[in-house]
Amino acid sequence: MTDKTGAERRGFLRALGLGTAAAAAGSASAGAAVVQRADTVPAGQAAKENDAQRRAARYVESDEVKAFYRTNRYEQ
Amino acid sequence: MARMKFLCDSDRCIECNACVTACKNEHEVPWGINRRRVVTINDGKPGERSISMACMHCTDAPCAAVCPVSCFYTTADAIVLHDKDLCIGCGYCFYACPFGAPQYPRVGNFGGRGKMDKCTYCAGGPQQDNSPAEYLQYGSNRIAEGKLPLCAEMCSTKALLAGDGDIIASIYQERVQRRGYGSGAWGWRTAYKEVLPA
Repeated sequence: MTDKTGAERRGFLRALGLGTAAAAAGSASAGAAVVQRADTVPAGQAAKENDAQRRAARYVESDEVKAFYRTNRYEQ
Repeated sequence: MARMKFLCDSDRCIECNACVTACKNEHEVPWGINRRRVVTINDGKPGERSISMACMHCTDAPCAAVCPVSCFYTTADAIVLHDKDLCIGCGYCFYACPFGAPQYPRVGNFGGRGKMDKCTYCAGGPQQDNSPAEYLQYGSNRIAEGKLPLCAEMCSTKALLAGDGDIIASIYQERVQRRGYGSGAWGWRTAYKEVLPA
């Protein structure tokens, strides 16, 4: 009887441990799904620009930009 | 060559914080970091003024002047960007910036704060344009897509202007002339008084 009670208690503890591990794994996978700003990216994914490329002008007065300027002025 | 600038018309800003929300959503800015924020002076009192603040992409940027690893660079469009692979998170730029633009993602043991994060004028960083790596480190690159910063494009009262400095200055000048009084520019009543008090 004493042995059986002891075994049941250990079984309970085992179940508790497994449950905690499963909960931790679940929260970790949920956290990984959220995109966060990264300090660094893996070397394989990095595509660094050289000095000339990173300083190059990218602004263009596209239709969207012209529309922004037009709508910010008073109507003529 | 166009010089990219922000200009907040404080006569129009209604402190709705849409610019802050748009920025955080566009770039997936994590909790605890605000690349843009709305500052309100005399909140709830007559004469209350709100201005939307972010990195002002200074011509002679103090952050770049104090950076010990020279991680800042200015593009041909006069946008001040930084390289997170070089940043050591020392915090000097935070102390140097008059606008409180540099932000740090965490507070760790022994003062570790992580790499500095700030407004990129929606121009990404030194990774290839619109690559996953650029988005992960710096956020989206709207300038390379022929767009303007989302905070300004989203502004419902058209208080926040962004774009070529000469053009937005002329838009602002037109507004001031139409209103028929001084300027809503921050500091106008203290720094640009027409007569000195007796």
